Amino acid sequence: MIPSLRYSIFVALAATLAACSAPDAISVSGSSTVLPAVSKAADQYSAETGISVIVNAGGSGGGFNQLAEGQTDIGMMSRDITAGELGKFASLNFQEIAIGRDAVVPSISSEIYDAGVTALTLSQISDIYSGRVDNWSEFGGPDRAIFAIDKEASRGTRQIFMKVVMGDPKAEAAGADLVTGSNNEEQTALTQSDAAIGMLSYAWLNEEVRGLSIILEDGKRIEASLDTIRTGEFPFVRNLNVVTRDDTSQAAQAFIAYLLGPKGQKMVEDAGYIRVSN
Amino acid sequence: MSVITLNPPSSRKYRFSGTQAYCFASAALSILIVGTILLTLLVQSGPILLTGNADIIGTKWNPSDGKFGILPMLFGSVFVMSIAVSIAFPVGLMAAVYIAETRSSKLRRVLKSTLEILAGIPSIVYGLIGVTYLNIWIADLFDLQSGRIILTAGILLGIMILPTFLTLTEDAISAVPVKYRENAKSLGLYRHEVFLSIILPKAKSGIAGAGLLALGRALGETMAVMLVIGSLDRLPSPLLNPLSSGQTITSKLGREVTESAFGSPHFSALVFMGLLLVLITIFLTIASRYLFRQKDQHV
Repeated sequence: MIPSLRYSIFVALAATLAACSAPDAISVSGSSTVLPAVSKAADQYSAETGISVIVNAGGSGGGFNQLAEGQTDIGMMSRDITAGELGKFASLNFQEIAIGRDAVVPSISSEIYDAGVTALTLSQISDIYSGRVDNWSEFGGPDRAIFAIDKEASRGTRQIFMKVVMGDPKAEAAGADLVTGSNNEEQTALTQSDAAIGMLSYAWLNEEVRGLSIILEDGKRIEASLDTIRTGEFPFVRNLNVVTRDDTSQAAQAFIAYLLGPKGQKMVEDAGYIRVSN
Repeated sequence: MSVITLNPPSSRKYRFSGTQAYCFASAALSILIVGTILLTLLVQSGPILLTGNADIIGTKWNPSDGKFGILPMLFGSVFVMSIAVSIAFPVGLMAAVYIAETRSSKLRRVLKSTLEILAGIPSIVYGLIGVTYLNIWIADLFDLQSGRIILTAGILLGIMILPTFLTLTEDAISAVPVKYRENAKSLGLYRHEVFLSIILPKAKSGIAGAGLLALGRALGETMAVMLVIGSLDRLPSPLLNPLSSGQTITSKLGREVTESAFGSPHFSALVFMGLLLVLITIFLTIASRYLFRQKDQHV
């Protein structure tokens, strides 16, 4: 604890000094989900150009507020700007730029997938989580009770999932049989069961835990793949955004261009997310 | 000269009052800390208790809807504790009788020190074992989709409180003076008669005290329970079904307290559950004190 605290104080001091000495330093602040990708890219960008980039965590909301109040050049957000936030700073214009994508995939035990349940509609998933349907045979699977796995209410993954399925990120899931926390915990529970459904980040799918395709209202079937996530066709996609104001500095714009370029996109991928451009 | 060295009443008196003040301050400080904790819990519980529509004695928990029903958590705590106790008490009592009555000091020493090691293992280690093995065994045994259920938490907790209960119970039995045992034997009683009609009644209150202390530990345990109970904020259905996932007060606090904004109704409801837990623990502590004291008077 103490050494890491000391280390971070040292880094903070060093960063402050660097910020003072370099006139065109760029400050970036906000979502800790977006941070790993941006901070890796920032390190490399600084090494290549000599322009220092200071990246701080503080949550999506915090990042937006700091940007709006002029305390940072670029905000990071793992969600879109809300109407309430825009209303607070109505005199300003903001741009949201997606630098990467993260997808939440409804996932099921491989036993059910192999038995033929490979795609569901959103309302069918909603039926499972609200407790209206409790057997896989209703969806053409084996006659086995559905084991629905929910996540803690605060998890970003759950909020995206429930927003798409139930229309409300905080919706109650009366049909849930188990509640887990991290992707890791959820994946373990899905693997241990042979009739479970849950929600995972795209990167966590494997042979034991299969991603469901989604059947849209017009009958179109969307598979969870890098392509459909990149194009945004897959319904459970969230953008990892950087946000700027109209009066963004040239230096900040150059850094955003770098994030969207091949090297920046590689960092996005290294951090476990999906690139937005080739 | 010798008079002065032998009789320094003033300095001795001075030192005594210094020590006294120090002791008094220490005692006052610990009382102050307990008082502060209780007061803080009470004050922070205020908002949720004063809100009329929070539905605190309800079964629904959904902070975004303003629903803070604590019954599932309260029931979960009591249910898990009951399972733990019904596993630990019979086993612990029998083992304690065995250790105490074989009257082998070597066996007693080896077993007691092993038990003390067991009692000292951090609960997260038990939790990890529960997640890695116990939870899978139970799922296989009952053919369940997941072993993260109330029964698993109860069994794990039973294993955890067993050493505490066993060693204190054994102390209580061994503490019965030898003279009782010898008198009874000299009257020609069989060994089981000596134990059942002489030793057990004498050790009874000590055993009950041990049980209450173990109960307190079971009630307060967080980490191990949190990992295996399934974290479902709902009453089991049917109510006494130990094979469904559940939630205890402690696991709820462990999962959610960092996510609730300080001063919000959500935070207040969590604090209120903490207050309930403290009150139950205080009750158990006082009750066990009372039982231990009774034992001292009899022997």
